[in-house]
Amino acid sequence: MILTSNILARLVAIVVLGVLLQLSFFSQVALFHTSPDVLPAIVVSLGLLGGTMAGAVSGFSVGFLLDCLLVQPLGGGSLVLLGVGYLAGMFRERFEIHSPLVPPLLCMGLTLVAELGFGAVELMLGSAGTISGLAIRDVAVKSIFAFFLGWPIYLGLRRALRPALVEEPVAPRRNRPTVLGA
Amino acid sequence: MYRKQVRRRRAVLALLIVGSFALLTLTYGQGSDSVQRGVSAIFSPIQAVADRALKPARDLVNWFDKTFDARGRNSRLESELEAARRQAVGGRAALAENGELRKLLSLDRGGAIPSGYEPATGRVIARSPTVWYAAVTIDVGSGDGVRVDDPVVNGEGLVGAVSAVTAGSAQVRLLADNSSAVSARVVPVGVQGVVKPEVGDPGHLILDFIDSTRKVHKGQAVVTAGWRAQGIASRFPPNIPIGEVTRASLEEQEASQQVQLRPYADLRDLETVQVLTGGWRG
Repeated sequence: MILTSNILARLVAIVVLGVLLQLSFFSQVALFHTSPDVLPAIVVSLGLLGGTMAGAVSGFSVGFLLDCLLVQPLGGGSLVLLGVGYLAGMFRERFEIHSPLVPPLLCMGLTLVAELGFGAVELMLGSAGTISGLAIRDVAVKSIFAFFLGWPIYLGLRRALRPALVEEPVAPRRNRPTVLGA
Repeated sequence: MYRKQVRRRRAVLALLIVGSFALLTLTYGQGSDSVQRGVSAIFSPIQAVADRALKPARDLVNWFDKTFDARGRNSRLESELEAARRQAVGGRAALAENGELRKLLSLDRGGAIPSGYEPATGRVIARSPTVWYAAVTIDVGSGDGVRVDDPVVNGEGLVGAVSAVTAGSAQVRLLADNSSAVSARVVPVGVQGVVKPEVGDPGHLILDFIDSTRKVHKGQAVVTAGWRAQGIASRFPPNIPIGEVTRASLEEQEASQQVQLRPYADLRDLETVQVLTGGWRG
């Protein structure tokens, strides 16, 4: 990802808008008794588009802003989401995205990792009490939502950050040699 | 060149991880600090505007969810309605009797708000996205008299308590949050305990540490205990409705000293709440 001041401003806007949209809209709607969580999908998409550093830094920023706005212990959200962003970035650096199903599947898988990670941080801090079986269902449904929301989020962010993306050079098209007399 | 790049990446990653752990260590357990309050104060007006702007879209999505839900609940509610009609007659008589007794004891204060408390009405403008934290942000803050630990109610019962305050907004830790604990008693038997959440299920609470020698039964109401002794007091005033006992098996009461309850307030669907400001603080 080529970072210019313009792109940096767009990244900041994406992080702030993403967190505000999550808190004011997605967290307050319920489908099948579960609210979608788009923040891991945003971080995964940024990691897929920009690599490990973009993924980790954006994950840290999203987590930090989230913890600040919800007045939760700072650092928990940052730690989980920076890991998620880094993993997405590593995928981008090691493998090629051949299929359009890759971003939504990664969003789904890493949302599952993020939600379990939030739970693990809670357990690590020793503050989680009795855990209902519904928590597992909630985490699973959130991951399925991430699959469906992942693709539009990835496309939208790719469009917003297009000037900064390092495109693979397109192989020059070879013309078939003209066979004289054929 | 490539090695230098890799080293730089690893350094940034290590810095972020160390930064996260440092933040966790510094802020865990404090509940609120100046950075969070500052950021929250900057963003709360934007959140309030976003909340209003997105309300129609939110209502549309929630309408679908509620429609699916309502179809399933319709038949069950019809049978419950029959039972409720029968109970209503007895309820009216009990209400009349209750009113007379209140007048006799000069306890009628004309409402559900305990004396000494001033309600500040606020709207929910943001909500935690994960299942592990149950917190909402409301659009009233210290400018409206709201302070940390003030109880928060809605039309149905207790919702939670204020955990952090800025000038124009406040964070409310709901009853379903893993850090929530409310001293409560079962009426009419008077058994006391602590209401705790079952993380991940806001429609389900646990009344723990009850006296297993006195039996609690399904359908009995649970209200805040509101104790006060030797200069310290519960942050919740007495007699705020919390929920109804849904399961109270003898085995559970004797073995684990707990019963299950359903909160009266729908903690998943909060729009408007009231913060009970003022009151006794020891």
